[in-house]
Parts: sequence; structure tokens; C-alpha cells
Amino acid sequence: MQKIDLFFFYRQTFLIIAQKLSGFGRALYFFADVCSLGLKGKIRLSELMKQIYEQGMQSVVVVALTSAATGIVLALQGYMMLERFGAKEKVASLVALSLVRELSPVFTSLIFSGKAGARVTAELGAMSVNNQITATKVMGVDPLEFLVLPRMLACVLVLPILVVFSQVIGIMGGYLVAVFQADIPGSFYIHQTLRSINYVDFLSGFIKTFFFAILIGWVCCYQGYYTKGGSIGVGHYTTRAVAFAYIFVVLSNTVLTKIILTFWG
Amino acid sequence: MIKISHLYKSLNRELVLKDIDLTINDSEIWVILGQSGVGKSVLLQHMIGLFHPDQGAIEINGLRLDHLTAQQWLDLRRTMGYLFQEGALYDFMTVFENVAFPLQEHTALSVLEIKAKAENILQLVGLEGVERKYPAQLSGGMRKRVALARAVILDSKILFCDEPTSGLDPILSRDISNLIRDISRHFRTTTVIASHDIANAFRIADKVAILKDGQVVAQGTPQEVRASQNDFVREFIH
Repeated sequence: MQKIDLFFFYRQTFLIIAQKLSGFGRALYFFADVCSLGLKGKIRLSELMKQIYEQGMQSVVVVALTSAATGIVLALQGYMMLERFGAKEKVASLVALSLVRELSPVFTSLIFSGKAGARVTAELGAMSVNNQITATKVMGVDPLEFLVLPRMLACVLVLPILVVFSQVIGIMGGYLVAVFQADIPGSFYIHQTLRSINYVDFLSGFIKTFFFAILIGWVCCYQGYYTKGGSIGVGHYTTRAVAFAYIFVVLSNTVLTKIILTFWG
Repeated sequence: MIKISHLYKSLNRELVLKDIDLTINDSEIWVILGQSGVGKSVLLQHMIGLFHPDQGAIEINGLRLDHLTAQQWLDLRRTMGYLFQEGALYDFMTVFENVAFPLQEHTALSVLEIKAKAENILQLVGLEGVERKYPAQLSGGMRKRVALARAVILDSKILFCDEPTSGLDPILSRDISNLIRDISRHFRTTTVIASHDIANAFRIADKVAILKDGQVVAQGTPQEVRASQNDFVREFIH
């Protein structure tokens, strides 16, 4: 009896692992297909522009609010701590470096996943369950080229812009605290900010953002494209896409930070 | 001509289609009748290459579908139209954009020519003045008309219709069936319809095939099928 249970356990475990591996393989193929279309230049500019506008506009307000709040909180906390050591003028560097290297890329990517990523999955998911993706194939048009590539490419183009925007807004938030609470002259704050950020700081944040954008675009488009199960399926796959995107952003941030610090310290 | 020979297909380890043999001649209207879940839609989807047979073959105009290259598939699909059960119109496009989409993708027509052709086909399916509306603003019957217009706008030689009257009231079902017949005659298309709407099927079809548990139990002209001695056929159509 115990032997049978053990056999059943191993069999089920094997099946689950095989299923996950095949799912991952399919996702890799999907990504490779979309990338090869992009490299062949099969980019529909009008669709791309539409997606850039929609994804950007949808996220910009939330990103602005979150970034301003983050900059303000960082400056407040930093000012309180640094004042104890008589180094309150360093608050500009603290805010700028934290935002540029770490907080803006990660926070903006998480917000982007929840707003634009969810939208992409839900749109493609609804098209999938309503046979619009099948109809595209039947009409002799590649749905990856027409529906997926513009969305994925828009993610890669919009997210870095949003991150730079977030960095600027966050620094402005810190500026308000520095000037009105910490009595640091505005020109000094700006000078300190510009002096403390070098190209390595900016590039490390930018490289991370680029990877996050690819991951978010890939995960959200893949989940939407293969959505099944009607309207309930759309909700299920959208939630799953956002959860996966969050996990991938957070985990890949850890790995990328380690790699970047190892090479550029 | 569409020729299906000894087609078998299993889905999820269940035999869905068994030894299907059909020969559909040019410009004929065929209706594949059967209860829900007997494999009508699966059979249609084999004919457009969304499914591949486990055994047997499908030939369209002398081309075996399992031997086609990607380019041949693309060329063939440009000659086919498919009317989905729910229309499958793009929600983010207007009626005009939906109908014009195949022309924009597959022809080198100018904007004005596309506009004229789209308006002409919308007129043909009885829809005027709705060009700027979105599919969500239309009734079920209107969406099917738009989908039909999109399916034939490339002067399709073959038209597939999957349950075109499902979800419609009897009058609308009759209108849509008549429209499919008129459009098929107008464009001289070979038309294959999967349906369980017996009355309309017998009214518009040149030939009828009846499926039971994935097998063709009767086929022929409506008169021949009506005269069938098969118990299931007699029970199904009466």
C-alpha cells in the first residue's frame, strides 16, 4: 500500500515538473518568436505608437504620485538621520542615489506591471477567449506580429522613459523637503544631486529597467495570449501575470544588483 | 473543391472525428448538422488548418493541407473567409476598420478604393450608417453581418461559417441564413456551415451532412437526407 502511495507521489511530482518545464519551454519559444519578428523589422508603427501612448498615459500619474511621495519620504528620513551626524547637506546625494540606482527602477516597474502589464494581459486575454487571435490567424495575419510585438516593444520603450520621469519627480520631492524643511539652499541641493550621480549610477538603473521591461512585456503578453476559460480565465490569467511580473522584477533585481555591483561597484 | 478522406482526430484521448469522407464541389453550400459537441466545429477548423488530422487527409483545390508550406498556407487563407460563432470582431476597431482590415493587410488598394469596397460590402450585408460604431455598440445579428462582410471582403472563394445562427431569434436566424446564401451565390463561394439549426440548414443547403458521435451518418441533397432510413437521422431532423 505504502509502495503504491510512493509511486503515485513520484509520478505526480514528475508530471508536475514536466508540465512546468513544458510551459517554460513554450514561453521561451513565444519570446524567441516575438524577438525574431522584431529583429526582422516587422514592426507596425501605428500600433506601436498607440500602445506607447496607452501604456505611458495609463501609468504616468501613478508613477508621478508614487515617485514624489518616495522622494519626500526619503528626504525626510534621510534629513532626520543625517542631521544627528551634522551631515544634513548629504540628503541630496542620499535621495538621488537611492532613486537613480534602486528605488525608481523597481517601484516604477512594479507600478507599470500592475497598470500597463495588467492591461496588456487583459486585452490579449479577452481577444484570446473571444477568438480574435484565432480570427487573426485565419485572416492570414500573424497575431504575434499584429497584436503581441507592438505591446511588448511598447513596454520596452515606455518603462525606461517612466523611470527617468520617476527619478526627476522623486528628486523634486526631495528638493521640496530640503528647501522647506531642512533649510538647504535649492541651488546647493541641485548641485549636490548632479555631482553625486555619475554615469555608472544612471546606467545601472537603466540596465535594470531594460531587463524589467522585457520581463514584464514577455510575462504579460504570454499570459494574455494563452488565456483560456472565458471571462473568469481573463481575470485569473491577469492576476497571474501581475504576480509573476512582480516576482520576476524583485528576483531579477537582486541578481542584477549583485552583478552590477561586482563589475561597477 | 474540398476533399476530406478518412479523417480521424482525437482530442484529450477521445476520438472526436471518425473516418470522415466528404467531397464538397465548387460553389456548393454544404451544411454540417449535428448536436452540440459532435465535432462540427473541429471539422471546420481542420479545413482552415487550426487542427491537423491524426489520420486521413484534406485537400483544397488539389492541395493537400498537411503538405503546404507557410507561404502556401498564407496564399490559401487569403482565399478563405471564416465566420466565427460570436463574430470575433476586433473590439478596438470600428465596424469600418474591422471590415477594411483584410484589404489593408492583403491588397495594395488605395485608401479610397478600400473605403469604397468596405462601404459596398456593408451595404450588401444590409448595414449602412454603422461604419463608425464599435462592435460592442451593435446587436448580435449586426455583429454577425459585419463578421460576414469581413469574411468575404477579399472575394473569398471558400466561406466557412461556425454556428452562424446560434444565439439569434428565429427571424434573425432566418435573415442571417438567407444572407449567407445570397452572399455565397453573389460571390460564387464554396460554403461550409456547421450548424444545429435544422430548418434553415435544409432551406439554404445544396448538400447536407449529418454527424453523430464524430461520424457522418448521412450526406446528400436535403431531399436525399430527408429520405434517409437511418434511425438517428429520422429522429434528428423530424
